[in-house]
Amino acid sequence: MAYAFFPGCVSKGGCPELYPAAKIVADKLNIELVELRDVGCSGAGVLSQEVSDPVNARTLAKVEKMGMTMMTICSTCQGTFTQANHRLQSDPEYRDRINQEYLASEGLRYDGTVDIKHFLWILDEEYGLDNLKDLVVHPLEGLKVAPFYGCYLRRPPELMVPKGFEGRKTVLEKTIETLGGEVVNTSGKGKCCGFPILSSSEDNSLAMCGDHTLEAKDKGANCMVTPCPLCHLELDGKQEDAARHKKQDIDLPILHLPQMVGLALGFSPRDMGLHKHLVSTEEIVNILEGVRA
Amino acid sequence: MEITLKFYRFSPGNGSKGDFQEYPVEIDESATVLDALMQVKEDQDSTIAFRGSCRTGFCGDCTMRISRRNRMACSTTVGAAQNEGTITVEPVRLITTTKDMMYDLDTWVYDKYKAVEPWIETDQKSPDKEHVVSNKVVQDLRKVMSCTMCWLCDEGCSTMVVDRKFVGPLALTKAYRSVFDPRDNRTEARLKNLSEKNGMWDCCHCYEASEHCPKGIDPTERIFALRNKAIKANAGIPTVRNHYRSFAKSVKSHGWLDEARLAIETEGLTNIKGQLKQVPLAIKAFRKGKRPLPYFLHEKREGRDRIKRIFEKWEENE
Amino acid sequence: MPYHDVIVIGGGLAGMRAAIAAKAAGVDVGLVSKIHPLRSQSSGSHSGINAAIKSDDSWQSHAEDTIKAGAYLADQDVVEAMCQDALRDVVLLEHMGVPFSRDGDGLIDVMPFGGSSQPRTCYVGDSAGHIVLQVLYENIVRMGIATYDEWTATSLMIADGACCGVTAYDLASGKLEALSARSTVLATGGIGRLFATSTSALFATADGVGMAYRAGVPLMDMEMVQFHPTTLKGKGLVVSEAARGEGAYLVNAAGDRFMSNYSTDGDRAPELEARELCTQAIDTEIQEGRGDDGCVFLDFRHLDNDRIDDRLPETRFLVKTYLGLDITKDLVPVQPAAHRPVGGIQVDAQGATGVAGLYAAGEAACSGAHGAGRLAGNSMLDSIVFGRRAGEAAASNSRAAGKTEAPANLLAEQVEQAQGLSTRDGSSDSIGSLRRQLNQTLQSSMGVRRDGASLEQAVSAIQDLKERYQHIAVPTIGGPYNPSLPAYLELGNMLDAAHIMLTCAAARQESRGAHQRGDKPDRDDADWLQHTVAVSIPEGPQVSTKPVTITQWQPS
Repeated sequence: MAYAFFPGCVSKGGCPELYPAAKIVADKLNIELVELRDVGCSGAGVLSQEVSDPVNARTLAKVEKMGMTMMTICSTCQGTFTQANHRLQSDPEYRDRINQEYLASEGLRYDGTVDIKHFLWILDEEYGLDNLKDLVVHPLEGLKVAPFYGCYLRRPPELMVPKGFEGRKTVLEKTIETLGGEVVNTSGKGKCCGFPILSSSEDNSLAMCGDHTLEAKDKGANCMVTPCPLCHLELDGKQEDAARHKKQDIDLPILHLPQMVGLALGFSPRDMGLHKHLVSTEEIVNILEGVRA
Repeated sequence: MEITLKFYRFSPGNGSKGDFQEYPVEIDESATVLDALMQVKEDQDSTIAFRGSCRTGFCGDCTMRISRRNRMACSTTVGAAQNEGTITVEPVRLITTTKDMMYDLDTWVYDKYKAVEPWIETDQKSPDKEHVVSNKVVQDLRKVMSCTMCWLCDEGCSTMVVDRKFVGPLALTKAYRSVFDPRDNRTEARLKNLSEKNGMWDCCHCYEASEHCPKGIDPTERIFALRNKAIKANAGIPTVRNHYRSFAKSVKSHGWLDEARLAIETEGLTNIKGQLKQVPLAIKAFRKGKRPLPYFLHEKREGRDRIKRIFEKWEENE
Repeated sequence: MPYHDVIVIGGGLAGMRAAIAAKAAGVDVGLVSKIHPLRSQSSGSHSGINAAIKSDDSWQSHAEDTIKAGAYLADQDVVEAMCQDALRDVVLLEHMGVPFSRDGDGLIDVMPFGGSSQPRTCYVGDSAGHIVLQVLYENIVRMGIATYDEWTATSLMIADGACCGVTAYDLASGKLEALSARSTVLATGGIGRLFATSTSALFATADGVGMAYRAGVPLMDMEMVQFHPTTLKGKGLVVSEAARGEGAYLVNAAGDRFMSNYSTDGDRAPELEARELCTQAIDTEIQEGRGDDGCVFLDFRHLDNDRIDDRLPETRFLVKTYLGLDITKDLVPVQPAAHRPVGGIQVDAQGATGVAGLYAAGEAACSGAHGAGRLAGNSMLDSIVFGRRAGEAAASNSRAAGKTEAPANLLAEQVEQAQGLSTRDGSSDSIGSLRRQLNQTLQSSMGVRRDGASLEQAVSAIQDLKERYQHIAVPTIGGPYNPSLPAYLELGNMLDAAHIMLTCAAARQESRGAHQRGDKPDRDDADWLQHTVAVSIPEGPQVSTKPVTITQWQPS
């Protein structure tokens, strides 16, 4: 299995532990990642579509040449790309205009044939959770994990969870169970983490972060897992501020999806970069080592 | 079919908690939940209070939480709503209730609607003739105006959960119409008004509103459109404007996002207090081995000249 | 007691248009509505507004089509006023903000509607009612007009022969209050809830008709009830006239486009005949066994998908939601259902009733502009033209009239009567059971086809229901958000309206327009080129006649 790999900005920037963890885990699963280097940021819904669509069309044109499916490790990259791809696929006139105005000078054109999938979807839809299960050497027994999706992996539903792919609504829960962990459901698992409004409305942002992590904790979770590094920036990076905002201790470790997979496949917490998180991951390391001992 | 309708009763005089009251109803399964409620009101208990009018999903008045899902009673059949012969009807979560299923819509819906001044003001240059507008434009306006104010978008909104003062996707959809109606002459003042506290910049664009809109109006995209227009018109709150600009600048010059610079520039380079706020997190992150160094210090990306050219071309087109 | 120069009862199109006109004329206005104006029945109107705005059209042609659709029972001076005003009123709406669909030049487009000799209906996609309602309410807010949302008017206050306001029940407080005014406009809407299957909202309960009747105000042409030809099977939900305007076919169970057997005009598609003819044709097909389970079908399958999404999105949504069918793939089963009253409170072309200070507009009123049947696209037009006219007339009356203080005893009487309801012994009847019997009575006697014997029977059935109505107990009256009193009073209004309608229908000894009698199958211009006018006397409605005004179109 080989994928054109779009790592996104944050896996190398704000969450530098994510990129190596994803690479190590993919390697273990025998998934070949051909990293896209000569491409730009997806725009994350912040850049105007007028400029992010051409930038993303350029990326997709390169992937199309490679003849591969593109893999992301970020809900936001995934959402932005799926939406851009939908516009480019459903409106040939629009696609032609972008090809001519922006890509032709570089000898590129995009014909609208690329498929884009998040690592989480690939695990279930292409790799197969049963196959993943066979590789689990350290089941996450005793670990109570609250799933947190990140908005863009679920919405807009007609694009992100289309007919025939309804399993995407619960794939994170199924993955946790596959790895031997226990799922802790929260009401906010599909809602916004708060990150997008950190600069415009900090109080609301922290309230969201606090609500999600506190609810998980109250329901007995000892960690949360997310396939979105932007959610991680908020839920991990801003958790201390959120605790202050809520006037309560939280201390809930937040795992990146590849980290959780890697731990079950036998990699050490250090290999997975757990020490780089702002919220201490000591408690889950202890739980897992208790199991392993 | 024979069903049990569990209807939430609440009276402000009787303390803060309400309770379910059960009504047996004999009704066809193709009838709507609104029909069932009317039957109870007319035959069993004339004091039960709920709203509902058009029966056809156009007036938006009968939004309720029916068998644990927010929806309109007139657009939900008894057959679809019942679960082993029982239908529960209770209030939606995010707006307060004055009795039973009567919401305080003035506070949570109509006042917010009024706050965005949802009409248009025209120049009246030729009062005897209609304005010349392309059909494509009025078609888009009609789409947003098909909003029935059922407030299912507000009810699904991520921000509203933490801050009910947020003006919300319903009112912002109305605002979209006024801002994008070419006949209106107050665009800038409107964008400024929408950028006030609790305004459009509190939207976290989680697409919940679009998922919940029964009319397919896509409020989230409408809010994006409003914000992009505000950025272009130089309206909006400074930190957000800076954030958008810095984001674009970073991608333009590096192809990728420079997060360290984004954080600094978002607060504004001369905003000392804002900058100091960033310091503790930066130090802690650095100690933990998170080193979001500016891109010019580590990886030089290929293709960034090409991306820069796309930006330049776009700016030319503007 | 709250006072306004003008009080408008009803927050639909006619009421809001009246309130805006009165406010624009510079007087103080209060808008009273038993449901929030944005939730009004008008939002369900998908059709459009007729106006001869195109250069190849004329208001005279519009007037002629209107008069023909009304089977020559229309007062032609009033028709002329309406068709002339239409041009300006449509542009006024556009300036208020209505995003009318545009033609290739960016000007207001027109489409062909049933009964019109050429395309004349200004449309707003297929959501004209919903969107015009939104725009009018936006202007109510913008102009700062005082609103009384969820206040149900219960009776007219008449003193010294003039109307000086209304008493109304405030749902939030559960109290009856007097709202006094120099001019009062009744724009309370339709009567749909009288029928078992109708196209109306839940609150179309003939309130204005009931209040006016009890106050001695005359009502005109109450036997004329329009049935919409195409409503969704068993639901009464309208499939817009725009569907046929866009080219949808009407077919029977055998798949035949049967309208060509009934059509009188070879120039246009047979489906575009006037409503009354379409309704009667569909009814005939069903009665003679060529229907399918009480329905015929609308067939959209030959229409272009993109065009459907541009012109008929709401129709597509409605059919999908309530029947689970896709109009681009499936035949849609439809049947006629009670739609709009053509008769109502008798008013002149300014909306004035026979009582000083009292005006009426919209579906509650009858100005004589429609005669015996209403042209598709003339309903909303009626609301915006006569709504505006009534608002303007009410405003100038309020300037001229001295301030009359409503006598306090009028409210006290109401309060006492309401309290009396809770001390009744009660009976085995409920509001629901009486309403259903009323529905059945009207459905079987006041349908598309009527006859004298069943109308007479129905009159006595209604008299019986009215008697039993006096014995229903309403255990709790008042208190915050207690809807019991309005629910009881609505039933009373419906019973009064039914009594008048049946009495007038029994009186009109002919078939004309919406009034088709099996026992009197022919139009009788010699005796019945006359309006019926009903007033309340102790024995019930008393019917007299009033000649029709003819200007230039002789009956043929």
